[in-house]
Amino acid sequence: MRAGRLAVGLALFVVGLAAAAPAQELSLSFGVGGFFPSDGTYRMIYGSSLSLAGDIWLKLKGPIGFAAGFGRLTDTGVAAPSDGGTETYPLKFRRTSIPLIVFYQFDAGPVAIRLGGGAGIHSYRETWQTVDLDFKGHKTSPRIVLAVSAAFLKRISVFCSGSYESIRTGEGSLPAASVNLGGFQVLGGLEFRIF
Amino acid sequence: MKHKGIVLALVLIGGLAVSVGAPAIAAAPDGRGLVNLIRIAKTPALPIQVLTRLQIDVRQELSTCLLAFADRDDINLLRRNGVRFTVLDRNAARREFLVVGIADPGALASLRAVGHAVPVEPATAVFWTEEGSALEAVPAGLPRKAFPPRSVLPYVRTRPDSTPAPSMSVAQDPLVETIVSLVSSSNLAANVQMLQDFQTRYASTTNCEAAGEALFAGFSALGLDDVHFEPFTFSGANSSRNIVAEKRGETANPGIYIICSHYDSTSPSRLTLAPGADDNASGTAAILEAARVLAPYPLDYTVRFIAFSAEEWGLWGSRNYAALARLGGQPILGVINLDMIGYADAMPEDLQIIVNGNSTWLADLFLAAGAHYGVVGATKTVDQSFVYSDHSPFWDNGFPALLAIEDNPLTNPYYHQTTDTLDTLNIDFLTSATRASVGLLAELAQPIKDGYPRTPVGLYADLTVYRSLFKALNTVRLHWTAQTDAAGYNVYRTNTPHFGYVKINSTPVTGTSFSDTNVGPDPTYTYAVTAVGPAGLESNRSSDAQWMTMYLDGLATAPASIRAPSAVPSFGFPVLRGIR
Repeated sequence: MRAGRLAVGLALFVVGLAAAAPAQELSLSFGVGGFFPSDGTYRMIYGSSLSLAGDIWLKLKGPIGFAAGFGRLTDTGVAAPSDGGTETYPLKFRRTSIPLIVFYQFDAGPVAIRLGGGAGIHSYRETWQTVDLDFKGHKTSPRIVLAVSAAFLKRISVFCSGSYESIRTGEGSLPAASVNLGGFQVLGGLEFRIF
Repeated sequence: MKHKGIVLALVLIGGLAVSVGAPAIAAAPDGRGLVNLIRIAKTPALPIQVLTRLQIDVRQELSTCLLAFADRDDINLLRRNGVRFTVLDRNAARREFLVVGIADPGALASLRAVGHAVPVEPATAVFWTEEGSALEAVPAGLPRKAFPPRSVLPYVRTRPDSTPAPSMSVAQDPLVETIVSLVSSSNLAANVQMLQDFQTRYASTTNCEAAGEALFAGFSALGLDDVHFEPFTFSGANSSRNIVAEKRGETANPGIYIICSHYDSTSPSRLTLAPGADDNASGTAAILEAARVLAPYPLDYTVRFIAFSAEEWGLWGSRNYAALARLGGQPILGVINLDMIGYADAMPEDLQIIVNGNSTWLADLFLAAGAHYGVVGATKTVDQSFVYSDHSPFWDNGFPALLAIEDNPLTNPYYHQTTDTLDTLNIDFLTSATRASVGLLAELAQPIKDGYPRTPVGLYADLTVYRSLFKALNTVRLHWTAQTDAAGYNVYRTNTPHFGYVKINSTPVTGTSFSDTNVGPDPTYTYAVTAVGPAGLESNRSSDAQWMTMYLDGLATAPASIRAPSAVPSFGFPVLRGIR
């Protein structure tokens, strides 16, 4: 809920910024895709994950713009036994992210290419579904993104993006371990231009 | 050739037997210069692992210090590692060193009159002579002990077990109570009288050997599984024999409990008159009586009743026995040494139970047994410096052992006198002390009850760690061998070994394995299993499977799955009361 409220607040902020600033273009994108974790333990337990994201893109006069969004990643897995373990402990992992980036946009006819960088604010929770074990955490991490959209109607474009984040949590189930919740995320979807 | 082989084997065995009982004489390692005798102060911060890494030859642990041999290289390494020590003798090679009690006024002076004596603690000195046997040079009446023949460092711990014993105000085991009730005052008095009647039992005399024969015959008449002499030599050409009687355990548990005493005696007229009623016909009478009352009852664990000889010469019999037991890998789980348990200077008299840091649990159990079965008070003292009886060689070899003694310091005015006779003893006190000892021994050895399921065997533990991204679940999986007369099993766990077991299964386990999930960060987990019969009767507890969290804490380097064999005994009889 807290992340949702933050996302709504940021969206209102961007809209407000759009209203106040010399905005050239405001658009909204929705995408679905896959997340490919860079951490081996993460991959072993959860593998790749389905992710959903929505972003507001505000392009100012000139090639620079701001974007904010909301991302949600959910997955299930099984605890990894050290050796010889035969029991199954199902796990559930959720991550909610709010990306904030500054981007540079190249326009080539109906195609817009955006290259951006910024930060992601993450809230995550891992739950053991049959044992009373639970972990919650928050982290802010750097994020880079490349997004491409191609208009096929006046206000609607096909949209795809790729992003990378390194989310080093500083914590883990092994002593001195630090789980990295980051990785590559590829999304595809639609973008709606509001003005 | 065949005969040559046999002769060679006998020579080797003889050499081994001589070497384990030989006095500790420092030998200079090849090419490493003179050997020093050093005193290393024991402090909570003393890094035992540093001494282990440096392979320091520690020969005696006392309450406040360690006594060790060290050459020049060792000295330099100790200094470099910040270990504090003092040099007691810079020319320790080929010398025989003793620890001698100097609590009596004038003791240090009398030692210095015959050799070198350096106090290392307020009541303890190290003694040696330039020539001849140091043991024989020690003035009569002073307690003495030679250094053990090899390093005791593997068994040294700087922090004694401080786990408080739980309350033991619980019901008694009716079967153990029955066994204890069979202890007879008149038998004890008769046993003391029988030993006293040998006039002297000073080791090396024919009378002492005759007393040994009588004890052998006494044990043999009880129908035990084995009785034998264990001969040894001491102090030159002298020889004597321990008498070892055994009642074998009937459950496939490998552990052995020992109750022991020394049967030799001394006095100023030791070659002709040393009745030694209190020291130590009293303890020997008790172990003979313990064997008599336990003989008819099948037990889970093996019990040995041992009468040692040549204790008064410097613990020779027990030194020889304990060293051979360690070399032979014998699974000795606990030793009860009874030495002077018949004299009461004032009533009510209580027993002093003296243990080292590895044996405190044994003392706690003795106190409970004393309260339950002996109706005798007992006081626990952790004192590594009390090394002047037959428990000490067991300490030196890493076995848990206690000494039960009437007073510390001694108050018996007839001690080591020709007047130490039966009429000076308090037979009621001797009976109570014997009953407490038998009660503890029976609790440890676990009498098998008719109509109850057999005790589970083969318990071991596997650890599996299940990991998510952020949490680890430590799961101890227990496995044991099925008992045909069991309808189910109960699983018990404690984090204070030997005490406080709590059942962790809600209903009897029908299989032969059990997973204890999400074990916490406690330092040690000890598990035991009982079998539950169709009528709900519960067996004795199995040997323990113990789990140490050092593995849990060090997951990054620990083996992925570690198997702990069931080599640890099950204790904590007060808890069993609740489930019988």
